[in-house]
Amino acid sequence: MNKKGLVSLISVLLGLIAGAIFMLITGHNPLEGFKSLIQGGTLNLERIGNTIATATPLILTGLSVAFAFRTGLFNIGTPGQMLFGGFCATAVGLTYNLPSGLLVPLMVFVAFLGGALWAFIPGILKALFNVHEVVSSIMMNWIAYWVVYYTIQGYFKGNMETESRLLADTATLRAPWLSNLFGGSYLNLGIFVAILAVIIIAFILNKTAFGYELKSVGFNRHAAEYAGISVNKNIILSMMIAGGLAGLAGVVQYAGNANNIQIGVMPSQGFDGIAVALLGANTPIGALLSALFFGLLYSGRGFMSAMTGVPPEIADTIIATIIYFAATSILVERLLDKFVKSRKEKKTQSAALTGGAVSSTDNKDENYGFMPPNSSDSSKNNAKKGDE
Amino acid sequence: MDYVVEMLNIRKEFPGIVANDDVTLQLKRGEVHALLGENGAGKSTLMGMLFGMYQPDKGTIKMNGSEVKITNPNVANDLGIGMVHQHFKLVHNFTTTENIILGIEPKKGLTVDIKSAAQKVDELSKRYGLNIDPYAKIENISVGMQQRVEILKMLYRNADILIFDEPTAVLTPQEINDLIEIMKNLIKEGKSIILITHKLKEIKAVADRCTVIRRGKCIGTVDVKLTTEADMAKMMVGRPVSFAVAKKDTMLGETILKIEKLSVQNNKKVLGLKDFSLEVHAGEIVGIAGVEGNGQSELVEAITGLRKIEGGTIRLKGKDISNYSIRERINAGIAHIPEDRHKRGLVLDYTMEDNMVLEVYNKKPFSNYGLLNRQAITDYANKIIKDFDVRSGEGGASIARSLSGGNQQKAIIGREIELDPELLIAVQPTRGLDVGSIEYIHKRLVEQRDNGKAVLLVSLELDEVMNVSDRIAIVNNGELIGIVDAKTTNENEVGLMMAGVKGGSKNE
Amino acid sequence: MKKNYLALALCGILSLSTLTGCGGKKETATSKFEPIKADFTVGMVTDAGTIDDKSFNQGTWEGVQGSALKSSYLKPAGTTEADYLKEIGNLYDAGFKFIVTPGYKFETSIFKAQDKYPDAKFVILDGAPHAGDYNNVIKENTVSIMFAEHEAGFTAGVAAAVELKEGEFGFIGGMEIPAVQKFNWGFQQGVNYANENLGTSVTMKEENIVYQGSFDNVAAGQQLAAQMFDKGVKAIFTAAGGVGVGAITEVKERAKKGDDVWVIGVDVDQYADGIYDEANGKSAILTSAVKYIDQATYDMIKAEAEGNFPGGKQLTFDAKNNGVGIPATNPNLSDDTVKKVNEVFEKIKSGEIVVAATGDGLIK
Repeated sequence: MNKKGLVSLISVLLGLIAGAIFMLITGHNPLEGFKSLIQGGTLNLERIGNTIATATPLILTGLSVAFAFRTGLFNIGTPGQMLFGGFCATAVGLTYNLPSGLLVPLMVFVAFLGGALWAFIPGILKALFNVHEVVSSIMMNWIAYWVVYYTIQGYFKGNMETESRLLADTATLRAPWLSNLFGGSYLNLGIFVAILAVIIIAFILNKTAFGYELKSVGFNRHAAEYAGISVNKNIILSMMIAGGLAGLAGVVQYAGNANNIQIGVMPSQGFDGIAVALLGANTPIGALLSALFFGLLYSGRGFMSAMTGVPPEIADTIIATIIYFAATSILVERLLDKFVKSRKEKKTQSAALTGGAVSSTDNKDENYGFMPPNSSDSSKNNAKKGDE
Repeated sequence: MDYVVEMLNIRKEFPGIVANDDVTLQLKRGEVHALLGENGAGKSTLMGMLFGMYQPDKGTIKMNGSEVKITNPNVANDLGIGMVHQHFKLVHNFTTTENIILGIEPKKGLTVDIKSAAQKVDELSKRYGLNIDPYAKIENISVGMQQRVEILKMLYRNADILIFDEPTAVLTPQEINDLIEIMKNLIKEGKSIILITHKLKEIKAVADRCTVIRRGKCIGTVDVKLTTEADMAKMMVGRPVSFAVAKKDTMLGETILKIEKLSVQNNKKVLGLKDFSLEVHAGEIVGIAGVEGNGQSELVEAITGLRKIEGGTIRLKGKDISNYSIRERINAGIAHIPEDRHKRGLVLDYTMEDNMVLEVYNKKPFSNYGLLNRQAITDYANKIIKDFDVRSGEGGASIARSLSGGNQQKAIIGREIELDPELLIAVQPTRGLDVGSIEYIHKRLVEQRDNGKAVLLVSLELDEVMNVSDRIAIVNNGELIGIVDAKTTNENEVGLMMAGVKGGSKNE
Repeated sequence: MKKNYLALALCGILSLSTLTGCGGKKETATSKFEPIKADFTVGMVTDAGTIDDKSFNQGTWEGVQGSALKSSYLKPAGTTEADYLKEIGNLYDAGFKFIVTPGYKFETSIFKAQDKYPDAKFVILDGAPHAGDYNNVIKENTVSIMFAEHEAGFTAGVAAAVELKEGEFGFIGGMEIPAVQKFNWGFQQGVNYANENLGTSVTMKEENIVYQGSFDNVAAGQQLAAQMFDKGVKAIFTAAGGVGVGAITEVKERAKKGDDVWVIGVDVDQYADGIYDEANGKSAILTSAVKYIDQATYDMIKAEAEGNFPGGKQLTFDAKNNGVGIPATNPNLSDDTVKKVNEVFEKIKSGEIVVAATGDGLIK
């Protein structure tokens, strides 16, 4: 197991322990609680399907945040991008009467474009005027909220004020075969969109020159600039791809898990994407796994409430506690580092006592890297702390 | 013997490291005692214990013959030990007097009695020849003056033992001379000084005795007058060190870099470089000498494309590259060893492999149709790592952050030289490195020149510029003061030019 | 040893909290409903908003609790059909087979649920199941309950106008949906009726009739109310969930300072929420336009317990069956006002006054 995976697992474990303590404090049996929580997400095929379906938009928003983060950007605009992407898809789905095989890919495409457009604005503001993307993308959330609100009410209003008209079955990602396979769950083709996105993003990040550039900018934009990599171009592109991924979350949510777009609510999956990305260590596969974990929590929560009598508000708090701890993976990482380090130090110290010679494992300092071969024997016997 | 401070058989361990092992340092009354050692040798730890920041694990500290326990810096203060730090601890919008009395303000009723304090500052200043204006604001005075404020701060607190931590790192040669005078005045007035440094020339100039430590161990204490610089260097490094950079005569080739009337804004949006003209030929090393912040960074960034120019032209082999992008300039044959290897030189979280292709990742064979060719990258990186003797835990797979500074720098230099550039710009290539590394890097720069390439060396270390360069261009306040031949000039001339005196000391 | 202490400490916390938990449950004694004896359990899925929203969720839950049967409510994560169905499924799988859902948003999910869980009973308030095409299909295991909001609004409008006699009134709605619109329209008709027949002179300007656009933006509600009061509005009728809560916050602050301003509550008796002077029990809520959601819910549970669940039917709760109106007690209304309002209410019951459920000739 690599270190990142271990950190995430420990975070989850801490989250579950914190949740358990919370259950104890509120007078519920944690074992019962967790049992029904897990049952709620996995009891039968339908529930498993629902868990995966709940996770689907989270995979994409998590991927969106993680991807931007790799380029050193904090995309907190996922809710707006998701909403706008979903809106574009819904608008296309409600406007054009095409065969399903054409219409659905078109919707997925415009969802990506819509989300990308919504993230392009903070991207270009950041690149040209150094406006912090956190500020501008949060504002874009509310612009999306009201633009969609207004446009849906004006042009795509259903019989209910809070929703658009319903999408025809040919204009959704729903697939009866898949739904039936999972006992009538609302699982839909969106999961394939999400998995494909994970694969493509992983490929871009790890195998392409473009991914190399993006990561360079993310890790150290000064060095990237020095090497002739266009920082601005990469910031804008990275924001757009991140936005596009959030836009895909919009289409899988509104034209997959639902069959119309809800207005007057900011999609919670957007902000959850941040926690998903954090727990997933900002890697594509990590986002996939942590989104599934979140999906399990969200689907199992209601069943836990119904079975154990934990009021939904407390259940929400428990879930939030688990997520909170799960998202503190950075803290866990630090602790883990410290732990490993002190273990190593203990080892070297005991070696020092027995052997009399001390070697340092920490070679971050600025010195003695150039010891010529004839002095390498003595370089084991190195003291170097504190001369900074 | 009349020792004011004795640190006897000191041992200090940090987890995993013995920082000081049986170190003895005895400071006589009224002497300048140098503490010599490479970076990381344990100098600061030793002084930290004298200043009360750490407690020794073994050994004793005596003052005037009786044992003392210095449990914290306040105790050190009370015992009359003062430290002039390398990085000044001054409040910039306060006056010198306000800075000096900070923390021990004399009170008159409820108000601070600035007037009497200023008077005392003035007296002290006159007595020790410090020449400090008690009412000047820190932000308006020179670096050398700021350092004197730090010294006066210690004197104001009645310190008898002054520790100077690398005091000359930030000074011009003239300011260094002034400082040496001040130190001599201090001694005359009965103070004792410990001078922490790794610069042998200064030790020779001012110190009476010198204690050398290497990797935490006390190598010995020598009488400076009876010891040569080479001997002290040998004690410090553990092997003979050559100071002179062996160079063949220059074989001047065509003009590689031609800068004409270049003007560049600095970060404060005023011209940091004004009407600057310079040529660098194939087969020569041109050094830029100057005190930090006099236009060197602006010059380098303008040539490499990191900074927009306001006027003038930059030509590379006759081609006007003033409007080229950074990448285009790299492709045209400019390589750049950046000033700050952590800020610009490396992506610290990338592996060494990835760092070695920072400028060429998108070229064949490292990528085909946008896909990275891992094997080609690994082979290329391994070659550089091998050729330039870059040492790391896992070779190319090591994370750059995990390498020592010297190895990071070697890797950068290897990467840039491997680009086979027409012009190699090396900015502070040996900053923070030990003598051995410096020697190696200088050799590589000269090798590049001998291979018929042009090298532009920017350094704040005058010795480095003087030893490595063929010609030296001196900048002051963004202007070219003059260009001198390295073989015929001397430190005094260059130093005066660095201070802005045109023509240097030639007329003297 | 350490572990043992920890375990002890945890046990202590556990037992303490179970004790308080038990204590809490016993407090629901002062219900206006008779406990029902039956062996089924009642589940509820909430709409957007919290269980104590002083409105639909709360009213429904009070009706459920009034039955004193074992009950549980669940809060969906979102407002999609899938979200609602998931919670219905959770209740069903956990053994709650009598399920109450407040709000028209449940229409399509109940449509699916009534087929999917044929052995469960469903009550949908303020809506009727359909497949998304508004062709209502109410199966034998489902009851649809509608309310005559316009009649409630009318009654509250008359009461407010008669009590305050003159001045400017305003209206803050949540989203522009039928139930909210009908409150608005009814209220305006009530004010007009009082002006024409009961000698009051209350005016309502178009600028003071606003649909905020959400049910949860408390801050916006407070802002809107502040603007209206600043413009001289004397009383605001809120039909806006959380937005209304914001308006109530504002009116309390102003009433505390001695301003003569009021809010007319909605859905449930909001008198207690408007109390700004704890010592004297003074509230800034003039009266409320009430839908007896709790009564409707309780009635359905009772019907099921007695074996005559009106499955397959749509029931309308209006003035005639005391399903809407103003609260039974109104400390802020004078006896004279109450008398006049009761007369008007009787006329609605008898059909002498017909309140239109449309906005023809009215503002917004």
